[in-house]
Amino acid sequence: MPRKAADEIVIALAGQPNCGKSTLFNAVAGFKVDVGNFAGTSVAFAETRVTFHGRKIRLIDLPGTYSISSHDLAEKVARDFLLSGEVDALINVVDASMLSRSLEFSVQLTEMRVPMVMCLNMMDEAQRKGMEIDTSRLEELLGIPVRTAVAVVGTGIDEVFRQAIRVAGGVVPAVEPRYDNDIEQALSRLLAVYPQALKDALPLSERFVALRLLEKDEDFERKVGASSPDFLARASEERHRLAEREGRAETLALGSHRHGLVLDLYEKVVRHRRGNVLGTREKVDRFIIHPIGGAITVVGSLLITFFLAFFLGNAIAGLVDVPFGALRASIQAMPKGMGPAVLIGLFEGVVAGAGIVLPYLVPLLVLLAIFEDTGLLPRIAFMVDGILHRVGLHGSSVVPLILGFGCNVPSIMATRTLENPRDRFVTMMVAPFVTCSARSVVIIALAGKYLGVLATVALYLFGGLMSMAVSYSLTRSKKRKSLGVIMEVPPLRQPYPRIVVRKVWLRLREFVLVAWPVLIVSSLALSLLSYAGADATINGLLSPLTTSVLQLPAAVGIPLFLGLFRKELTLIMLGAALGTDAIGNVLSNGQILVLVVFTMLYVPCVATLAAQWREGGFKTAAASALLNLGVSIAVAGAVARFVGAA
Amino acid sequence: MEGETAAIHALHSDGATRKRIQSLGLFEGRRICVVARAPFSGPLLVEDVATGARVMIARDLAENIEMESRAPEGR
Ligand SMILES: Nc1nc2c(ncn2[C@@H]2O[C@H](COP(=O)(O)OP(=O)(O)OP(=O)(O)O)[C@@H](O)[C@H]2O)c(=O)[nH]1
Ligand SMILES: [Mg+2]
Repeated sequence: MPRKAADEIVIALAGQPNCGKSTLFNAVAGFKVDVGNFAGTSVAFAETRVTFHGRKIRLIDLPGTYSISSHDLAEKVARDFLLSGEVDALINVVDASMLSRSLEFSVQLTEMRVPMVMCLNMMDEAQRKGMEIDTSRLEELLGIPVRTAVAVVGTGIDEVFRQAIRVAGGVVPAVEPRYDNDIEQALSRLLAVYPQALKDALPLSERFVALRLLEKDEDFERKVGASSPDFLARASEERHRLAEREGRAETLALGSHRHGLVLDLYEKVVRHRRGNVLGTREKVDRFIIHPIGGAITVVGSLLITFFLAFFLGNAIAGLVDVPFGALRASIQAMPKGMGPAVLIGLFEGVVAGAGIVLPYLVPLLVLLAIFEDTGLLPRIAFMVDGILHRVGLHGSSVVPLILGFGCNVPSIMATRTLENPRDRFVTMMVAPFVTCSARSVVIIALAGKYLGVLATVALYLFGGLMSMAVSYSLTRSKKRKSLGVIMEVPPLRQPYPRIVVRKVWLRLREFVLVAWPVLIVSSLALSLLSYAGADATINGLLSPLTTSVLQLPAAVGIPLFLGLFRKELTLIMLGAALGTDAIGNVLSNGQILVLVVFTMLYVPCVATLAAQWREGGFKTAAASALLNLGVSIAVAGAVARFVGAA
Repeated sequence: MEGETAAIHALHSDGATRKRIQSLGLFEGRRICVVARAPFSGPLLVEDVATGARVMIARDLAENIEMESRAPEGR
């Protein structure tokens, strides 16, 4: 993290999950981070530099967190930053339509005594619910500026930032929340004996620290215990006494009081105009959460995705191929030599991106973006949780795994929202078995073209079953039972075309700027290798796998190896390696099936391995690679024997 | 049962789970109702009546939420 410049102020966006922090961030930063209608879209820290009203700002988008006490890793990222003392001002983004729950966190934030403003976002939703919020009263009661916004259309943002700049580095909240007498007395007893050593060790508001201890915040217990064990003991004593007097569990005592305080605030500022009317959205939602409607929705959305990618992809690929075909013929007609080899390599790389990858990738990404924005993902999690329990996982893994259909890397990142380390590990091991868009391109282009639609659908089903089988066998032996799911289900929302387009572009950019150049370079390298005759050596090394186990021509060795870098490379290099684009003339249908099955299952690309290494350590990445290799060799080998015998 | 509302009387889960349940807004005293049950003994979809906020919660975890004025075997 770069140190801040002298004339720069640091503003952080903090708030509960799914309140629109990243949408607000994108509105000022240009579209830089992912947004989506489910809790836990952002699991890492994102920052940008902007100039607003002449002030240089380092703006930070934090993962959503329900409260200061963090539970999962994504929340810990947010909490650690909030406590780091680096912020000059906080923008507490709040989902106005969920004001009562959001205020629980806002109250905790004001206790930190950091300059702060509140952005009441999603005012459109609040109005739809019939809520009238008295913002000036809320300002008064919380002692901070409160401004309204609809981040998704961009209204109100300017004013929020103007206020944040105004308070930055100076004005702390004018009001400090007051609790019941019992708690206030416990607090003043603790503050009277607050040790100097602790003041030096933890440069945070003393009252805030004492409150954290009364809440039995384990992270703070560790921090305080390190320098002042006596004070920690005093605090535990006070907490114990409070809990005893109220007959409540120790962890609940303060939280319940804060809830009372929040309810009181809420009642003072919110009026409901009319009862909720049952709109179209609610009717659709009722259908989705009904067991039968839900099944139709889950299966339907899978089929829609598949067929759109399949037919639209094929149609676009066909169109793109026409102008390239003639060009290819004339290049291949050139006499053999170094120059033409370079030309062929470059040409195939460029064409592969435009003609083979993009046509399938774009429809997939568009649909995935739409699904994310509607709020379908948490609902799918709700529907399939029961099934996942049978294979040792549960609903919390659904969102990460579905993201994997786009790319396995964000899928691995999203496991940060899983509190339980065991669940997180299993999900990371299962994630590479989810057919990412790169592999979808391979499957649809090869299986779709040569084996037919039904076989392709069957391959997807097979992919799903493999993921479940992996999860089942990984969890069968572990004794520790996984905790069940607890997850927010946000309201359904209609996706905004503008946001969908920008989101798809955000992901496509990665392909166009990073992957495509890799494709072109690899293609060039392969062309030169085969010109020099070196490809046979590499293929020879891989032939125990390719010819003996998989019973494929040795020439597929290099394409499969390159697939480690980008799975699309396997497809693209295949034509070059086999010396023809009519793959059906060289490989039998059985061999194509073996090739596709192997591509689906063998080690995910290096990017996924790197993500696993970063998130789960070397052992996780290594274990996952071995697992994928073992499963792919066993399964694809078996398929080869089967189709060979048939 | 479905659609019927009741107030939360007490949370009997252990520390971390209890905090998680609370952080999603399910406090003692809040009126909630079960709007749906997922198939294959999946989670319950619980709605906070006053705010309309919805949370899915695994059945075994939901069993630790004691409701007011309800016979214990009804949980
Ligand atoms: N109706 C409406 N929707 C909004 C508004 N702001 C954001 N959204 C939508 O709310 C959803 C969540 O937005 P995000 O920006 O991803 O929320 P976040 O706070 O970053 O969420 P996490 O990263 O999960 O903590 C997205 O689907 C947005 O399109 C708004 O003002 N009105
Ligand atoms: Mg976000």
